[in-house]
Amino acid sequence: MADETVGRGIGLGRPGWRASAGVAWTVFVARLKIISRYKGAILLESFLPVFFAALPILLGTAVAGNEQNAANNFFQNTSSMGQGTSQYRLYMLLGSSTFMVVSLMLWLIGYWIRREQETGTLEAIYLAPAKRLHILAGVTSYSLVRSLTAFIVAMTIGSLLFGVNPLDGNLIAAIGYLILGIPALWGLSFIFGAMIMRVKEANSVIQLIQWVVPFFMGVYFPVTMFPPLMRFIAMTFPPTLMNDAMRSALLNISSLYGPGYVVIGLMFMAAWITPLLGYEFFGLMERRIRRNAGVGQY
Amino acid sequence: MEHRGLGLARPGLAQKLATFWDMSKKVIVEYSRYPVAFVALFVQVFVIILLFMMSSFAFAAPGTSRGELSGFAGMMTYGFVTSMFLGFTLWEMGFSLREEQVRGTLESLYLSPTNKFSNLLSRIFAIIVWTTVMCTAAVVLVNLLVGGLPLQNVAFGLLILLFSISGFLGIGFLFAGITIKLKETAQLLVNGLQFFFFIFSAQFFPFSVLPQPVRDYVSRWLPVSYAVDLFRTTLLGIPPELMPNDALAEFAIVVAFGILSPILGYFAYLAFERQARRAGTLGEY
Amino acid sequence: MQEPIIRVDHLSKTYLSKERKKGQRGKKKVHALDDVNLAIHDGEIFGLLGPNGAGKTTLIKCLTTLLLPSSGDAWINGYDVLRQEDMVRASIGCMLMGDRGLYWKLTGRENLDYFGALYHVPREVRRTRIDDLVTLLKLSDFMDRTVETYSAGQRMILAFAKALINDAPILILDEPTVTMDVPTARELRHIVKELNRQGKTILYTTHLMHEAEELCDRVGIIDHGKIIALGTTADLKASISTEDIVELEGIFPETTVRRMRDVPGIRDVVVTPMDSGLTKLDVACENSRMMLPRIIDAVTGNGASIQVIKPKEVTLEDVFIAKTGRTLSVDTRVLGEKEARPRGG
Repeated sequence: MADETVGRGIGLGRPGWRASAGVAWTVFVARLKIISRYKGAILLESFLPVFFAALPILLGTAVAGNEQNAANNFFQNTSSMGQGTSQYRLYMLLGSSTFMVVSLMLWLIGYWIRREQETGTLEAIYLAPAKRLHILAGVTSYSLVRSLTAFIVAMTIGSLLFGVNPLDGNLIAAIGYLILGIPALWGLSFIFGAMIMRVKEANSVIQLIQWVVPFFMGVYFPVTMFPPLMRFIAMTFPPTLMNDAMRSALLNISSLYGPGYVVIGLMFMAAWITPLLGYEFFGLMERRIRRNAGVGQY
Repeated sequence: MEHRGLGLARPGLAQKLATFWDMSKKVIVEYSRYPVAFVALFVQVFVIILLFMMSSFAFAAPGTSRGELSGFAGMMTYGFVTSMFLGFTLWEMGFSLREEQVRGTLESLYLSPTNKFSNLLSRIFAIIVWTTVMCTAAVVLVNLLVGGLPLQNVAFGLLILLFSISGFLGIGFLFAGITIKLKETAQLLVNGLQFFFFIFSAQFFPFSVLPQPVRDYVSRWLPVSYAVDLFRTTLLGIPPELMPNDALAEFAIVVAFGILSPILGYFAYLAFERQARRAGTLGEY
Repeated sequence: MQEPIIRVDHLSKTYLSKERKKGQRGKKKVHALDDVNLAIHDGEIFGLLGPNGAGKTTLIKCLTTLLLPSSGDAWINGYDVLRQEDMVRASIGCMLMGDRGLYWKLTGRENLDYFGALYHVPREVRRTRIDDLVTLLKLSDFMDRTVETYSAGQRMILAFAKALINDAPILILDEPTVTMDVPTARELRHIVKELNRQGKTILYTTHLMHEAEELCDRVGIIDHGKIIALGTTADLKASISTEDIVELEGIFPETTVRRMRDVPGIRDVVVTPMDSGLTKLDVACENSRMMLPRIIDAVTGNGASIQVIKPKEVTLEDVFIAKTGRTLSVDTRVLGEKEARPRGG
């Protein structure tokens, strides 16, 4: 302690690992309470992937002339690199549902920061001694629960509607890839959140993400259809890796990235590197903001 | 009781028009201070086009030339134009109102004598201008991708588009009222609505692709479907899909949509707003 | 000697502000804090006064780690503000953003529980603490409703409760009584005094003079990012030289005023008509207490009648005007102008 002032303790605060875990848990519960008080929010986002999948399915039938031609053409056009499948409905549904997970993870963090900025609660959080990491752990856990709920409900509804059976493929492996891909999404969401905090504008960025991300993820088509440079960029994008891995498991097709152990290795790497980079970037932006007008300026 | 005047206010048509212009300018100035918003809008259009075009390539028979897809591409692109206008109307109405709700400026706006209709319209004016620019760019892009889009009856097509936009405004007014009521949930609703119209008004593909019951019991009951159908089939020079033997009746529906929708939508908005004022929730967000 | 619990050494904060004028954009350097030195003693209530834009909020944000200063040092409760941020935050209970900083979709109780967790208060302790705060601040009527249904005053009270949730040794309250009604504001000040009696150090910003005079042991006046005056209210008032002035209100014919001007020891008599129909006299003299009997003698008779007579008190506003040449609060200035206007004018 400095000799410049006296010290009088910190009142009722008891910092330690229990308190830190309590921070994450309290934030998690509070976010769930808040969203539960917005009627219909969770229901709506479970239906969105179904609509999102229906678009290319109907589009494909329109282009090919009928469903059988659509299946045949899709199989032939996706056959390069061992990715050929005639199960275009499941292909689209899985892509859309996975995109919903990605979108929610990015959206919820970024939007959370912006809303907290606007309502003044971001400053209130920054006044507390709780570490940002623990607060973010609570928010990301909440976003994970919401995303997974939307994914499961969307896949269930979509499977019934489009007459597909995701259980025919390796569901356990697909879920494993999904879980393995989540840390990388958190990392991206920190980057995204930091940008929003800096730019002080969430809606346009979210609107952009809504279309740019599925494009690069290959939600509606394999990224092998891209020119080489674009393909390279798309393949370094962690959500593309996650989507491709899940597809390979559920549709019994090869992964663009190679054998299973390569896919798992790459996902592990992304799971470590992306969150570290994302958190570092978040801290950098935060320090920059505090050096200028402070987090309260919205 | 003696009237003590209105201070510096000068009500009258000229001032009301000037106020409308100032309010529209405010939207433009706000957007100009968010360059990210402009860039996002522009990039969005290109990405959507590329996304759907590449999807369509994935379903085309191998060896099909890009030019052979031009008819389908025209169907998709002209439908896309209507979806852009509808989407941006909904987003702008809903989001700008939501922003004002969150920041507390909605209450301030309601304290002023400004006409509510003018307030709503001014939000969308700048966006309509910008959306027109973007849609033109989108049509040019697709032209380049497929080597030429069919384009006929341009003047009539634009007239249909004008009535369609007017109709979309009505939906936007209704949505603005819903935003006052539902607050945060309205933002999810706009996503849902967009996709609802994408599919049931077949904005990206022909109506023939939709199952017959969906066409008969959902699509045909949506005025937006007729707007989309008539606009693109006019530009493609083919008979409309929904009423192939009675294009005039379809035109009448679109005109009625364009005239009645803003009126009904505005009254719906006023009803929501009155309810919020009665409940004291105008300032709540 | 009282030891400081908050110490500020040569603290400065400069930032760039974007300027937009017709067709032109530029950046302007804003010196929000300029070499501020301050020591707040353990167990005192320290008032920070200043007009809008003076630097009060910037100083507080630097002390509470929301803003990084451009240069200088600060210590709070034995912790370095720049190097031990977490402990500094744990040492303070803050009410900075008024009724913002609450979650509108959570109830009052849920808000307190949430923030209590962020301050690392254990769950069982939190529950008890919340119950205690509900009793202390009389929150029971609305505690279990969502904040979106609260009035502005209720939100402010809840924000105050939030500042107390961790029972920190230091409280920083930024204009806490703004938007509160008079009884509630009075009650809050009473609680602030009680908390101080229990040993808490309180940094209190306000632009209401009577609040500062009622509550604060010492006051610092800040203007343009600098501390321009510092001391107890009595010391500050004594530091400016003012003429002794006796204020009278009543009915005073012209002859009375002339007679008063002739009295030895009276320098000047300023006459101000009041809206009530009475007249106010400001009698400047050498020693108001000694002159009082002579003033009363001069006024008595000739149809004059005194309703009020009192020596004019020097206020903190007078201190601020003396140091800066400007008024501190808009409402004080406006009130003064209204009284000075001639009747019918």
